[in-house]
Amino acid sequence: MPPAASTPPAPRPGVPRPAALLLALALSLAVPGLRAAGPGPGPGSPGVPGAPPPGLLRQAARAALHFLNFRAGSPSGLRVLAAVLRGRAAVDARRTCRVDLEFTAERYGPEVADGRLGRCSARVVFRHQKPRPAVNVTCTRFMETSRRRREDFLLYKRAKRLRAPLGATSIPDSHGWIDPSLRPIWDLALLGSSYVMWERTTQTLQYYMAQLSSVNQWKTNEDAIDFDYTVLLHEFSTQEIIPCRIHLVWYPGKPLKVKYHCQELHTAQEGSGTEEGSAVAPTQPNNF
Amino acid sequence: MQLDVTRKLGRRPTPRPLPQPPPPPPPPPRGLAGPAPFPLPQGRTGPATGHRVLLAPSLRVILRGLKAPPKARPGNPEQVFQARPLLAQQHVLGDRNLEGKQASEPLLVTALRTWMEKSLAQPRREVVEETGSPWQSLDTYSYTRYHPMEEIYQWMIQISEKYAGVATQHFLGMTYETRPMYYLKISQPSDNPKKIIWMDCGIHAREWIAPAFCQWFVKEILQNYKDNPRIGRFLRNLDFYVLPVLNIDGYIYTWTTDRLWRKSRSSHNNGTCFGTDLNRNFNVSWCSIGASKNCQDITFCGSGPVSEPETKAVSSFVESKKESIVCFLTMHSYGQLILTPYGYTKNKSSNHEELIQVGQKAANALKKKHGTNYRVGSSADILYATSGSSRDWARDIGIPFSYTFELRDNGTYGFILPAAQIQATCEETMEAVLSVLDDVYEKYWNSDSADKVTPATVVLGLLVSLVSIF
Repeated sequence: MPPAASTPPAPRPGVPRPAALLLALALSLAVPGLRAAGPGPGPGSPGVPGAPPPGLLRQAARAALHFLNFRAGSPSGLRVLAAVLRGRAAVDARRTCRVDLEFTAERYGPEVADGRLGRCSARVVFRHQKPRPAVNVTCTRFMETSRRRREDFLLYKRAKRLRAPLGATSIPDSHGWIDPSLRPIWDLALLGSSYVMWERTTQTLQYYMAQLSSVNQWKTNEDAIDFDYTVLLHEFSTQEIIPCRIHLVWYPGKPLKVKYHCQELHTAQEGSGTEEGSAVAPTQPNNF
Repeated sequence: MQLDVTRKLGRRPTPRPLPQPPPPPPPPPRGLAGPAPFPLPQGRTGPATGHRVLLAPSLRVILRGLKAPPKARPGNPEQVFQARPLLAQQHVLGDRNLEGKQASEPLLVTALRTWMEKSLAQPRREVVEETGSPWQSLDTYSYTRYHPMEEIYQWMIQISEKYAGVATQHFLGMTYETRPMYYLKISQPSDNPKKIIWMDCGIHAREWIAPAFCQWFVKEILQNYKDNPRIGRFLRNLDFYVLPVLNIDGYIYTWTTDRLWRKSRSSHNNGTCFGTDLNRNFNVSWCSIGASKNCQDITFCGSGPVSEPETKAVSSFVESKKESIVCFLTMHSYGQLILTPYGYTKNKSSNHEELIQVGQKAANALKKKHGTNYRVGSSADILYATSGSSRDWARDIGIPFSYTFELRDNGTYGFILPAAQIQATCEETMEAVLSVLDDVYEKYWNSDSADKVTPATVVLGLLVSLVSIF
């Protein structure tokens, strides 16, 4: 938000008139009614001296939440950014950017409208325009651990019973509809995508999961859910859609195991990565 | 009713409950021997002067046979070309050819000839998608569903028929794939000169909630202007020009082929690459920043400023009316933002403070409705750098109140906003737009001035006069 208006538009812009400015300033301080409507400048707002570049704090918050979602390994406990509260950034000689911030997060899911906010604090370090920011984040719980574990287990049981539609699919469909029976697929897809989105987030690149475009494999005969799928990520600053093939293995309460490969549309840079959770049992061979 | 598309791996519709069977077609309009295979244009008036009977019977027979041939262009095998709307526009086209100039060949004939040549030359393909019935009536039109282009064309005709004294449909230009672009003009006839509010939706194909809002907006104005004094007073001095879908070709493409397509469907590099980002194609700092000269990029700025017919249509028209246009609103999704100029520079417009104030008031009004948070700021400040945007161009040709709205949501569903959220989104956005209109109206027609003068404005007035003394 821009700073509150304290001077009226001058007749000839750009010409300094110290006396007029002083008078205006004095009057504006004396008359609160002259302030611009709306809340004052928030953290990271343009025009506030010393504030981090606008958007950087939100970027850091998002990176932190992607990372937290991945690490928590809980498809029922996914969080999204609500609002940045405060933060500061420091850039060193190698253009490494360290951001310390506090923000609120809410539970992912449009159906969950309880308005409960968790409070988070994080340190996020972006290497200059390189992905995979280092993240240290803690959030207060928005749900009791036991309840979250219960919901994860319920999701797991539904997933085990589910016969996923294999092959090309659109979840949600063009009208934004997700069949309730397919909801576990969506939540798990988002969980796996969180890892990918965390890895790919930089100071400027910002990701959302737009659509699940195919289910390549959905194996539930073993203990863990073995899920291989293709997702379309939307990168906000370039507006591009990036297809990523993701393979995850999930068991409630255990760290998520995930491999992925994203397609870059026409630039040379392709991206892939893998993360192994040591507590997970060895998986079937990966074939991509 | 809809086709679910995937990007890479072919198409397979997600199983869905079947739509209701379409209602039976209405009786044939006056003047025609039998039911026409396409929606008919709004006639000027009754059969004596109207142009409803467009075609010689033999031509009609030909057209019926070619009813809706999907047309494959080279390199673009999945494009569907909808013939029907083209034919429905004779009455407003007169004798101008596709460039809008007087021509010896009536426009309808040109359009028909072009279309027939092209469609006959291409192999036919199945239209995979079944759209809703083209003959539903306005009473049953659902504003809480997404509609394919054919239905939107139909809806516009029906709106201009039902609200004939106040709403008229007008031709703006042709798209790249030679589809007609229409806007609705909402205007109460009167002697006093009017100022114009311009609203366009759907410049980016995948942002479906935007055209849904344009339709909602029109419906709200027309259903309420008689009984609602707040809306009624707007129409005393304002005309609304609403373009429900700017990027028609792209919009259709998101229904038939790729739900996440953004650009137009113009062909480049010898048919190897498609689409210009129409919101990078306007003539304002064209392609200087935040846009790409590479056709493969999603922010491709085109082969030159205003190179695209859609941009040209909007530009020419808005330019011709710029003295009267006080407000230029362009609707997008997603992000929940109200954006002021500029995107191409961090410099601010001369009325930036006012734009922010009005925008913030609108965001507050929006939030009151359903609690949704919108942020307000210049595009360069809170979004990202862009050049060639319609909003920046509109501001720079002198239109004072120029805003981009980025509607719901914040990334949960993004472009693919569930239809279940259309109503809430439209209701809250309506509050925001009405708030802007209130401010604009009061600025230019300071009616009910008794309660307009407040202590703050008095001091401000003194201040301004004091400053001007120094």
